[in-house]
Amino acid sequence: MTLTTTRPSPPLVPRRVPAPRRRNRGIGFHLVAGGLSVLWLLPILLVLTTSIRSFEDIASNGLGSVPHSFALGGFGQAWGEGGGGRAMLNSLLVTIPTVVLALLLSAAAAYALSRYAIPFRRTIILVMLAGNLLPPQILLVPVAKLTELLGIYDTLTALVVVQVGFGLGFYTFVLQGFMRSIPDEIQQAALIDGAGVAQIFWRIILPMTRPALAALGALAFTWTFNDLLWAITVLRTETVMPVTPALLGLQGQYVSNWNVIAAGSVIAAIPTVAVFLRFQKHFISGLAIGAIK
Amino acid sequence: MAVLAAPRRRRFSPVLLAFVLVPLVVEGFWVFWPALQGFYLSLTDWDGVSAPSFVGFGNFAEMFSDDIFGTAALDTVIWLVLFGGLSALGGLGLALLLQRERRGVGFYRAALFTPVVFSLVATSLIWQVIYQPDGVVNRLLAAIGLGSWQHAWLADPKTALYAVLVPALWRQLGYVMVLYLAGLKGIDPALYEAAKLDGATSRQQFRNVTWPQLRGVNSVVLSVIVIDSLRSFDVVWSMTKGGPYHSSELLSTYMYSTAFQSLRLGYASALAVVIFLLAFGVIVTYLVRAFREDQ
Amino acid sequence: MTSAGLSRRRFLRNASLAGVGALGSSSLLSACATSASSGPVKQAAGAVTVQSNLSSPQAKVAIEALAKAFGDKGGATATINTVASETFRTQLPSYLTSATPPDTFTWYPGSLLSGYARKGLLLDVGDVWQTMGNYSAPFRALSGDGAGHQVFVPTTYYWWGFFYRKSNFAKWGVQPPTTWSEFLALCETLKGKGISPIGLGAGGTTPWIASAWFDYLNIRINGAPFHRELLAGKQRFDDPRVKKIFDPWRQALPYFDPNGTALAFQDATTVLLQGHTGMVLTGTFFADAAPKDVLDDLDFFQFPILDPAIPVAEEGPTDGFFASARTPHVAEVKEWFKYVTTAEAQELYIKNSSGTVLPANPDAKDAGTPLVAKGRKLLSDAKELTQFFNRDSSDALQPTADAALVRFIQKPNELDSILRDWQTAAAKVWQS
Repeated sequence: MTLTTTRPSPPLVPRRVPAPRRRNRGIGFHLVAGGLSVLWLLPILLVLTTSIRSFEDIASNGLGSVPHSFALGGFGQAWGEGGGGRAMLNSLLVTIPTVVLALLLSAAAAYALSRYAIPFRRTIILVMLAGNLLPPQILLVPVAKLTELLGIYDTLTALVVVQVGFGLGFYTFVLQGFMRSIPDEIQQAALIDGAGVAQIFWRIILPMTRPALAALGALAFTWTFNDLLWAITVLRTETVMPVTPALLGLQGQYVSNWNVIAAGSVIAAIPTVAVFLRFQKHFISGLAIGAIK
Repeated sequence: MAVLAAPRRRRFSPVLLAFVLVPLVVEGFWVFWPALQGFYLSLTDWDGVSAPSFVGFGNFAEMFSDDIFGTAALDTVIWLVLFGGLSALGGLGLALLLQRERRGVGFYRAALFTPVVFSLVATSLIWQVIYQPDGVVNRLLAAIGLGSWQHAWLADPKTALYAVLVPALWRQLGYVMVLYLAGLKGIDPALYEAAKLDGATSRQQFRNVTWPQLRGVNSVVLSVIVIDSLRSFDVVWSMTKGGPYHSSELLSTYMYSTAFQSLRLGYASALAVVIFLLAFGVIVTYLVRAFREDQ
Repeated sequence: MTSAGLSRRRFLRNASLAGVGALGSSSLLSACATSASSGPVKQAAGAVTVQSNLSSPQAKVAIEALAKAFGDKGGATATINTVASETFRTQLPSYLTSATPPDTFTWYPGSLLSGYARKGLLLDVGDVWQTMGNYSAPFRALSGDGAGHQVFVPTTYYWWGFFYRKSNFAKWGVQPPTTWSEFLALCETLKGKGISPIGLGAGGTTPWIASAWFDYLNIRINGAPFHRELLAGKQRFDDPRVKKIFDPWRQALPYFDPNGTALAFQDATTVLLQGHTGMVLTGTFFADAAPKDVLDDLDFFQFPILDPAIPVAEEGPTDGFFASARTPHVAEVKEWFKYVTTAEAQELYIKNSSGTVLPANPDAKDAGTPLVAKGRKLLSDAKELTQFFNRDSSDALQPTADAALVRFIQKPNELDSILRDWQTAAAKVWQS
């Protein structure tokens, strides 16, 4: 695999694309992509319109009707009843350590398993991935009992540890896929310079895996933040509930305030959307695996 | 013999072993240990409160005579093919569409990814509203003259499963697109240049450059798809709970209702074992082959 | 490459040892997963924790007001911990078998309660009942575990009926019926006016509302004792007596809202209020889904009597509290129970909630509206009270009813196979 730069190569064939056709193709692209985006966002827009209606309006006219009211009270109610800042803080206290820890551990495992000839490395990767093939619902009860045995039941630590453990298999699998295609020469060069295993990992391989880590980090953030099952299994008290199960608690036994729940969902979506938008830049960074500067 | 061929793996440094063993132990403790308990429970009858009673393979024998299990298994296969296939194709298509950096592409990508991050509670509610007899879908069909196609999408046993497929795909495509985007980014642009020099059309470029280079990503996507198809529990559950009368029942929803509604955790564990074997069977053959090709 | 070979062998050996160890300890581990702690619990002073499933905003406000008033009295204090209703239901076994369970729980009496009581998970509150002398005998019987101990204290109850909008009935010029034939005639009239006479909200995630029809037809035709036996697993669903009750249902089916199984219960309420449907068989909790200005316009009539020879029974689901047997705060728990069963506590609760429930304490005053007075009379005139399908049988049996009844409403001609399948599914639940 040769090392290349991303410097544009000089055109070997004179460009003869007429300008209007290029512009039409641009318009066509925007029509298609734009149309898809609007279609995709339509349900989200419906959630937004529901969140700014009043309960009376929804009760009288139904959820599917055109809004007859404009009320921002739902947001205040969702924030207050849904645990507010405390629940959001809980979510962040769980999600950030989980993402950091899970990616660190799985990057380490992926590095070792993809760049060194450890015996049974393929089996180990498959076994780790197999852990994710189990339906989580069936692990709920044993894991709950396990957290009780360790005395961390009903604490955020339990949720962090459980989420890390459960995500490791998949993250390792994805990262080793990316790491495998990093050329050997760089590692060899570092070895000659006398670098140790950990240094090669930290200084060389990890930075080169950045796009994969960014993408996986955004996804891991989303999954951990939006998780429901593990949270309601290992947590019991309102005060430690993160945002997503707290949102579920806004539903009544028989009747629910849909405007409040919609408002709560909008609030809960803000961190995850923000994280995705922030990390999206790393996909665009141009530092692609396989073509290294 | 070049000096470079000096053994770079004479002994495995303890750091290296730690790199592998620590994550393995963590996963082993929190996943494999409870999983073993789950496997053991599949051989018992348990209601969650009293002590479990051992029944050997009785749960698995019961599955053969269980009509609902048959329905759920068939639905799961349909789901795997449709959900899995469409999300892979759609995700790849979207990634190909949006891979080039140009004005607006960031917005489009974010738009397609938003359903992945949005909480399910609200979106499942909205999709139920969209599918209501007087909801968006039916009104649209009437407006374009296809009024005879109107259905009570989620209440009609014939359409329920396929109706739930749409929001599930809606939530999945952005995610698969992101995976393929990361993979497409990793393809050396020089390969495309070389192909263009040889006069390849875009379709030939795709077949000879893009597709082979995506092999690593494809194995990831396949695993993701299989895992998500078989765990596609929350979308279906929040919209139909597997109904009406089991017509949108998947193995995952059937397992959940058996465990937490019927309180038959032994039988539910047995169902979970079946799901696991199904997933394992699909993934492992592909992955082992992919691994072997790379060595 | 001997070093690599050595490490490979060592790996293999370690892996197989681990595997054997894992398999061997799996049964041990499963014991860990399934065990509930035993032995007497050390008592300590402390606040009573109330695990509550009353997650609707008004009910939550009401119970928190109750806890506050309890604390203000001096003595023990109570803290309310509310979780989503569905979460509570799925986690209840986990809560009860935990090493440190919550002290008390909101819930309802019925088979689930006696099931847990039989397993020794519930606290005997017989001495609290000694202060509740004015409570009626049915409540006392309902709160027992079947072996002579009281394990539950009721606080509120409510009723079911055909609810309608008075203004709509006036607009259509119809009167509430008293007999079954009058009921069918009413439906015919409404249908002639282009209205779906009978609303239903058994779609989406609320198919259980259809069980109200099953319950009522069964207690009207076969009587409450047979109904209770059927729900307790002592009778069969493919019994000809059960099949008989579907005949009047079949008469009413043409008048059901065609979207009845496609709409969730809350949307069906909206449709009723908008005047697209005439009446809905529902419990008073549906009033929470109505806008406030409509509440005065609501009225109900009793499910028509089909067989005058059968003693009149009504559905009167009861809610209240029970406590874990392993609470370390037994004295405080009993103080809390003694408080919530007083008239003033129940009046406080009703004042803060939506006001359509009845207090269990006969000396407590309810909200006083004509609707509530009518409801109270309905239940006190009844000879027997049932609770509702899942409360009389179990939450495990409810999904079997949902599947069977929704299928009947959509495909009434398949009744025989529906009942057969129902019996098979029910038998599996009873066996476990």
